[in-house]
Amino acid sequence: MSELFIHAKDLWCSYDEDDLRVPVLRGITLDIDRGEYVAILGHNGSGKSTFAKLLNGILEPYAGELTVAGVDLTSPDLSDDDIYALRREVGMVFQNPDNQLVATIVEEDVAFGPENLGVPSEEIRRRVDEALATVGMSEYARHEPHRLSGGQKQRVAIAGLIAMQPSCMIFDESTAMLDPVGRREVIETFEKLNREQGITVLTITHYMNEAARADRVIVIDDGKILADGTPREIFADPDKLKRAALDVPQCTSLVHGLRAEGVVLDGEPITPEECADIICRALKEKTNG
Amino acid sequence: MKNISLGQYYPARSPIHQLDARMKVILAILYIVCTFLCKNVLCFAAIALSSILLILISRIPLRTVFRAIRPIIFIMIFTATINLFFTKGETLLFSWWKLQIYMEGIYSAVFMVVRIIVLILGTSIFLTYTTTPIALTDALESLLSPLRVIRLPVHEFAMMMTIALRFIPTLTEETSKIMNAQKARGVDFSEGGLIRRAKSLIPILIPLFVSSFRRADELATAMECRCYRGGKGRTKMTVPHLHVRDFAALVLMIAFGAGIVMLNRYGFGYTV
Amino acid sequence: MAELTLEHISYIYGARTPFEIKALDDVSLTVREGSVTGIIGHTGSGKSTLVQLFNGLERPTSGRVLLDGKDIWEKPKEIKRIRFRVGLVMQYPEYQLFEETIRADIAFGPKNIGLSEEEIEERVKEAAELVGLEPSLLDKSPFDLSGGQKRRAAIAGVMAMRPEVLVLDEPAAGLDPKGRDTILQGIREYGKKTGSTVIIVSHSMEDMATYCDDIIVMAHGKVHLSGSRDAVFAHARELCEVGLDVPQITRLALLLRERGVQMPDGVYTVDAALDALRPLFQ
Repeated sequence: MSELFIHAKDLWCSYDEDDLRVPVLRGITLDIDRGEYVAILGHNGSGKSTFAKLLNGILEPYAGELTVAGVDLTSPDLSDDDIYALRREVGMVFQNPDNQLVATIVEEDVAFGPENLGVPSEEIRRRVDEALATVGMSEYARHEPHRLSGGQKQRVAIAGLIAMQPSCMIFDESTAMLDPVGRREVIETFEKLNREQGITVLTITHYMNEAARADRVIVIDDGKILADGTPREIFADPDKLKRAALDVPQCTSLVHGLRAEGVVLDGEPITPEECADIICRALKEKTNG
Repeated sequence: MKNISLGQYYPARSPIHQLDARMKVILAILYIVCTFLCKNVLCFAAIALSSILLILISRIPLRTVFRAIRPIIFIMIFTATINLFFTKGETLLFSWWKLQIYMEGIYSAVFMVVRIIVLILGTSIFLTYTTTPIALTDALESLLSPLRVIRLPVHEFAMMMTIALRFIPTLTEETSKIMNAQKARGVDFSEGGLIRRAKSLIPILIPLFVSSFRRADELATAMECRCYRGGKGRTKMTVPHLHVRDFAALVLMIAFGAGIVMLNRYGFGYTV
Repeated sequence: MAELTLEHISYIYGARTPFEIKALDDVSLTVREGSVTGIIGHTGSGKSTLVQLFNGLERPTSGRVLLDGKDIWEKPKEIKRIRFRVGLVMQYPEYQLFEETIRADIAFGPKNIGLSEEEIEERVKEAAELVGLEPSLLDKSPFDLSGGQKRRAAIAGVMAMRPEVLVLDEPAAGLDPKGRDTILQGIREYGKKTGSTVIIVSHSMEDMATYCDDIIVMAHGKVHLSGSRDAVFAHARELCEVGLDVPQITRLALLLRERGVQMPDGVYTVDAALDALRPLFQ
């Protein structure tokens, strides 16, 4: 059974608390269930990162309703302890891998979160070892973070969250500063967490190929939700995405291009494999018919 | 550029590496006291010998050890010269124009050099070479924790130290990147007078400050997101325990100190 | 306007220390005059070192860097002049902005060359236009600009020096598709307008396919493949094997060919694929 994890209704938010004339978010309404794998897609300045920062209390909305992990973030008597409790549940990995690691040794950094929570020492040790194994960084436990690659640093940051045992992780453009190898490492790590441990994953990105891997894509443009659905549904309308200054996967463009020239093709491919299937099938039908 | 690591920790498995960092801080202090207790040739010989022994036990290669001494060679030569020429004594060895060298001068110059070398070696072997900066910070936090009673924010200081240590390599790398970027735009750091050179630092310092503030801001947010609320209610993954070896080392050091004091009585030659 | 050649270049970091790393190993290559050349490779393939050799920020351990046939290290004291001729935009260049206004920052390089006020003014305008910065932004502080705008301002700062060779390390890193296209188009435009040689270092094979004439593929400190765009993409299978992210379309073309569909070599854009598939459906 699905269980509601994030409930947002008509959220409005502005970066500058004194100046509400230029809202960054203009009425966001959405529900996300526990265990979902969601990509939030939008160009720079679309408001996608602002939305992410509302979810664990870094920013506050000035209008609307927002409940995350049972904590009502728009309640007038929201206390620091509530936010603290929320942050145990909802972890966040940021864009710059250098600016979120605190300690000079990898395992000490992973221990930082549970230490803040007051977890007993032996328990922290166990969690740290487990978290590093989960992200495949055990052999780097005693390394210095600044000698790691960008992708490795981000994996350490993920391990730091795992050790706090959250039920949701938000990736705020965590792959934007990485090379393709690092990007793949990070994506594979959080997909594994989603699949094997049922952790709710929200990835904020402007890379189409990353969004295409999620179960659900939410497109944000100009502070509003432009589209919300499975990747296949989203990419079926390339014009809409182009209006939001976003790309579509090349294979999707190709199929739409062929259709525009009158070729009959079934389905909405996202990967080259799917696209090859569709084209081969159409060619076969043509020779048979 | 990536090989910069502050506090030249040298990874090895030696008895000194295995000692508790808190104990090493205490040992280092005691060792320094010992060097100041030395008063005659025997004592200085003993302490010099002990330093060599320490190097051997710590399994740090000689080349690495000498790297610690290299930066202060100039100071050593300077103090040695001053001591050599300005110590007046009874046995005049050499005299030319206004320069006079006494036997006592030679003693005092040698003592001074030995004392400086031993000071540097002692602290670097007990502290920087065999103890990671982070262990050292933790040790200081733990040793100073009684000061919390007088409301000294010991944990916060230690956290600041840790973050500084964490970011020094990052910022060093960033500095060289910005320098290269501005060089590519025609800044020359080696040209012109003092004012011009100082001026050429502006294009480096401003971006560096801006980026440091940005980093600090982002780090603070990241720390808050990881439930950091200061030292209150915090636990530690590694709780250090003192072992028998730590106490054995302490006893040895105290015995060594006592030995030095004893030797002071049987001195011959020049005495400080 | 200028041709850049590397002859048997090797570069070793931390030579004669335990940390010795051979970043470049006997690299020889030529960047054609007036071309837009892409350099691609994994992190650690040596491409970032390569970039710093082009304008003399680093000196090769062995080998020669030739600009129009002349060794740039012939007179080491005059290396600064080489830096005016070979402009370098480093990764995340927006972090090097330091002046009070964007205008002053773009003017910084030309001022260091020693150009006249009028000349500087004109170059600032031209460079800003090339990267698509509106004139109204020029008098703003860098802090008031968005990330993408700052990036463009920083690139304009090097373009305003009007280098004969413009080298850019990951100019589009972290930008969204629109920001990426604006910048890469501006860079291409610079090459066309001034006749300068442009070198773009990137991780993205897709960007290379769209914007470069020639491509050099680096791997393990060596040149793995080089040549015209078509020639390099004809080795699509090999590129996949090196683990590079080839464009989706290239992978599709490979898959189709495996299944017996007639596809020409070197299909790397949607338009090329359309052209190749169209006749099959008629």
